[in-house]
Amino acid sequence: MNVEVVMPKMGESINEGTLIKWHKKKGDKVVKDEIIFEISTDKVDTEIPSPAEGVLNEIKVFEQETVEVGTIVAIISTEGESALPAETVKDEPPSTTQVGGEVVDIPMPKMGESVMEGTITKWFKQVGDKVNKDEIIFEISTDKVDTEVPSPAEGTLIEILLNENETGEVGTIVGRISKTGGLNIPAKVAPAQKTPDEKVFQKSAGEMPSADKFVKISTPEPAQAENRFYSPLVMSIASKEGIGYDELILIPGTGIGGRVSKNDILNYLNIRNTAKIPMASKLQANTESMSAVKRESVDKTSPAGVYSGEVEVIPMDNIRKRIMHHMINSRDTSVHVTAVVEADISKIYNFITANKDRLQQQEGIKLTYMPFITYATIKALKEYPLVNAVIEENKIILKKYINLGIAVAVEPNGLIVPNIKRADDLSIRGLAKSIAQLSSKSRNKGLTPEDIMDGTFTITNYGVFGSLFGTPIINQPEVAILGLGAVTKKPVVVEVDGMDSIAIKPMMYLSLSHDHRLVDGMLGGKFLNSIKNTLEYFDVNLF
Amino acid sequence: MLKEFDIAVLGGGPGGYVAAIRASQLGFKTALIEKDNLGGICLNWGCIPTKSLLKNAEVYDLAKNHADDFGLSFSDLSFDFNKIIKRSRNVSEKITKGVEFLVKKNKIDRIRGFGKIKTKNEIAVYDKDGKETERISAKNIIIATGAKPRILPSIPVDRKRIITSTEAMILPEQPKKMIVIGAGAIGIEFAYFYSVLGTEVTVIEMLDAILPVEDKEVSALLAKSLQKRGIKIHTGTVVESAVPAKDSVSVTISKDGTKDTITADIVLSAVGVTGNVEGFGLEELGVELFKNHIKVDKSTYRTNIDNIYAIGDVIGPPWLAHVASAEGIHCVETIKGLNPHPVNYDSIPGCTYCQPQVASIGFTEQKAKELGYDIKIGKFPYSASGKASAVGEKDGFVKIIFDAKYGELLGAHIIGGEATELIAELGMAKTLEATYESIVKTVHAHPTLSEMIMEAAANAYNESIHI
Ligand SMILES: Cc1cc2nc3c(=O)[nH]c(=O)nc-3n(C[C@H](O)[C@H](O)[C@H](O)COP(=O)(O)OP(=O)(O)OC[C@H]3O[C@@H](n4cnc5c(N)ncnc54)[C@H](O)[C@@H]3O)c2cc1C
Repeated sequence: MNVEVVMPKMGESINEGTLIKWHKKKGDKVVKDEIIFEISTDKVDTEIPSPAEGVLNEIKVFEQETVEVGTIVAIISTEGESALPAETVKDEPPSTTQVGGEVVDIPMPKMGESVMEGTITKWFKQVGDKVNKDEIIFEISTDKVDTEVPSPAEGTLIEILLNENETGEVGTIVGRISKTGGLNIPAKVAPAQKTPDEKVFQKSAGEMPSADKFVKISTPEPAQAENRFYSPLVMSIASKEGIGYDELILIPGTGIGGRVSKNDILNYLNIRNTAKIPMASKLQANTESMSAVKRESVDKTSPAGVYSGEVEVIPMDNIRKRIMHHMINSRDTSVHVTAVVEADISKIYNFITANKDRLQQQEGIKLTYMPFITYATIKALKEYPLVNAVIEENKIILKKYINLGIAVAVEPNGLIVPNIKRADDLSIRGLAKSIAQLSSKSRNKGLTPEDIMDGTFTITNYGVFGSLFGTPIINQPEVAILGLGAVTKKPVVVEVDGMDSIAIKPMMYLSLSHDHRLVDGMLGGKFLNSIKNTLEYFDVNLF
Repeated sequence: MLKEFDIAVLGGGPGGYVAAIRASQLGFKTALIEKDNLGGICLNWGCIPTKSLLKNAEVYDLAKNHADDFGLSFSDLSFDFNKIIKRSRNVSEKITKGVEFLVKKNKIDRIRGFGKIKTKNEIAVYDKDGKETERISAKNIIIATGAKPRILPSIPVDRKRIITSTEAMILPEQPKKMIVIGAGAIGIEFAYFYSVLGTEVTVIEMLDAILPVEDKEVSALLAKSLQKRGIKIHTGTVVESAVPAKDSVSVTISKDGTKDTITADIVLSAVGVTGNVEGFGLEELGVELFKNHIKVDKSTYRTNIDNIYAIGDVIGPPWLAHVASAEGIHCVETIKGLNPHPVNYDSIPGCTYCQPQVASIGFTEQKAKELGYDIKIGKFPYSASGKASAVGEKDGFVKIIFDAKYGELLGAHIIGGEATELIAELGMAKTLEATYESIVKTVHAHPTLSEMIMEAAANAYNESIHI
């Protein structure tokens, strides 16, 4: 009988592993629990024992190859009949997880690198309710996304520790599930616990009752790209003052080894607060219950606490607070300047009018201006890569890939900027599809953290609301944002054969807010005009 | 031709010799000029010899007053005062020799003699008779000349009847009655030492508490403990005059307008120190002073003259050996251009080595409140610690002060056995900006006194297990 050996799952957020070393060759005899290969993942490096006794019949993954969790790495052919059925080994991570009765903690999931806390907006289950694995049990709202969180296990919800409208740091246990019948993995599959390495292995595998991505994150997220250390006190101040990781990164450190010290973050807060922002104190209330927030905001927004006439006091929801905070941060970070051009988009207009219905019917593509504009923008970004950069202290980080962000308004009052990954690799059709997907995901709260992370440039379309042009605020840490105005038909002067005449044309204002720290007027102008030219002389055969 | 150096250090105390070693490590050609033994006040006439004396007192105290607690008994328990003094001198000598060796090992030019800064790049060295023996030139000069006891006109020190700490550690015979003026660390340590040996000690302090820089609760408990020992304490009391006679001194004190005169065979003046800033060229060069100390920028230790630096006691409070050393290292690293992290003056531990010992770091409760912090206080008494009971240290407590808003460790105060060793953990915690969780979640060995720190931190958040 053949036993398949799979890439084991070493932790919640780990979806792949790299095989770093084979300890056995093809044809070698292996005994059960003998180390046969070593893997490395972002969280742990570990040695993997053989699930069975037999002969290493086939090696499917070679050294230095990275494969997804669950991929078959090798096949062992067993001689005896005591061998385990292949499926058992294949489907489940090696684990000593017991059956039933076990209590599983439900942590506040981490929704992205820079998200440190989340607010529970709704519990769909009550204590005592039965839950299925992967069934949506609560909904959270964070800095970046609102999302529904599925149950990590099947069982009974026995405890709710974080109530609706309460905010908890990532990793905070929000509830507990008692497993009624969990995984049934023969303990035999697990390696003997001898060496320290194996213990690491045991632990991470054991802690993880399911493959679901929202289950307990036991290990802290890998450090920031910069690998900065933040002291417990700095973290405490950051969390109380609503400073996210993305913001922390911007704070220059003067402490030991260049760390951000208490004084650094307090100075930063000072600057942030004196920028006429009375709300810093309100953000602080984040971790408290909404009712507390309500009173606080009443007290602090109006120093005197007196209103003339009738007012209604509305506590800000999490999203509003986050948007507010992001906008202020962007204004305080970038030197915004806005340039505007007007583009004649007759060609695209005509193309859309002529093909809209056909494409909708035949291919299900809802044709809008967006794919054309994103296409033109990507082209301009390739021509002027500085616009696709990030400022990091005194360095310019040029991004060699384009993750194009599209600002999406989410009813009733949200705003989110998911991005099209590697947009530079897509055709116009590809762009059209991606845009449609992202906006539907945004509206249905289906965005994942990945959708929001690591954007390199953003387009915002306020034209859909009828605005002619605007001066958009840059989506940090990017250095520019393109705003699209409403398409209006206008009389314009055109020159035909040296003769000026007036024609009616569909016109659109494009405005570019760019960070003058990096992008000067000349570059901004050239970039905008490149987009204008692409649009005006658009080659419809590209579609 | 003058011998040339990158860095010349003037004064070989814990500021100067440490700076010189660090300079040499960093590749500077370094000279260290010291008129006496290396080690400065600290090793010769301060920290080390006093700690040696205090250990004698502690052992004697234990044998005399607590032997019975341990089921021991001694008959004819006695001591030889001169041997106690001798031991202290031997310890000091051994340690200073060690420093001479370290300096040699680090290939530092150790120049013996009194140094005088002639120009901003030149130092002349004189022998005891005032004869110039050597002249060197240096790109940078670090002044680490330390401080000397402050002498008040009302208390005319004659070094026989009215003495300073230096004489107090080498008295030819034990005084019967002693008046200690000034209840700072030095005054209190000597008061404890002599009192244990049987001297009748009176302490006079102008401010309203002994160890006035410490937390009020700590001062109060220490005062109680010392009084129980038989030490008379007059706080809020000013010394109007001290007049030496043939074999006694009479001291006139006044408290709230009421005068009194007390006498003793020895008066110890321990009213603080003042920088050694005279007679070695500062005036001539125009080095800026303030309140008898050299004025420096405490992020570089530079004086108003760009290649002249100053560190240690000579630049003013907090007059501690570990501060002098930290400043010395920082100063040299600055000269090297390493851009070191500044010395954090909010995280300097301060210790007093009487029994019970006192150690603290950061703000007192009073100071924190004054600064407007909303605070959380955690306390844990020695009486609730298993280890403290086992080793017979029943008196004392650990008090930790946190900022309620962010959980910052603002200050910590320990009074009781081994307090001066226990404070190190809190210094580390403060430097690393730990919050209460970091302390509470650190597993402390059992049974140790250090568990009290964990418990006190937990207590601030009502999570203490053992109280
Ligand atoms: C009784 C007593 C107990 C103390 N106990 C403690 C304690 O427990 N813990 C603690 O941290 N601190 C203690 N201190 C304080 C500590 O001794 C000082 O803070 C420390 O010595 C300061 O170091 P420094 O290098 O700045 O100066 P110093 O140690 O004073 O060294 C200065 C050196 O410079 C030399 N010098 C001065 N001028 C010249 C010149 N022109 N040429 C050549 N050489 C010169 C002097 O001879 C001296 O050796 C105590 C002090 C006293 C008096």
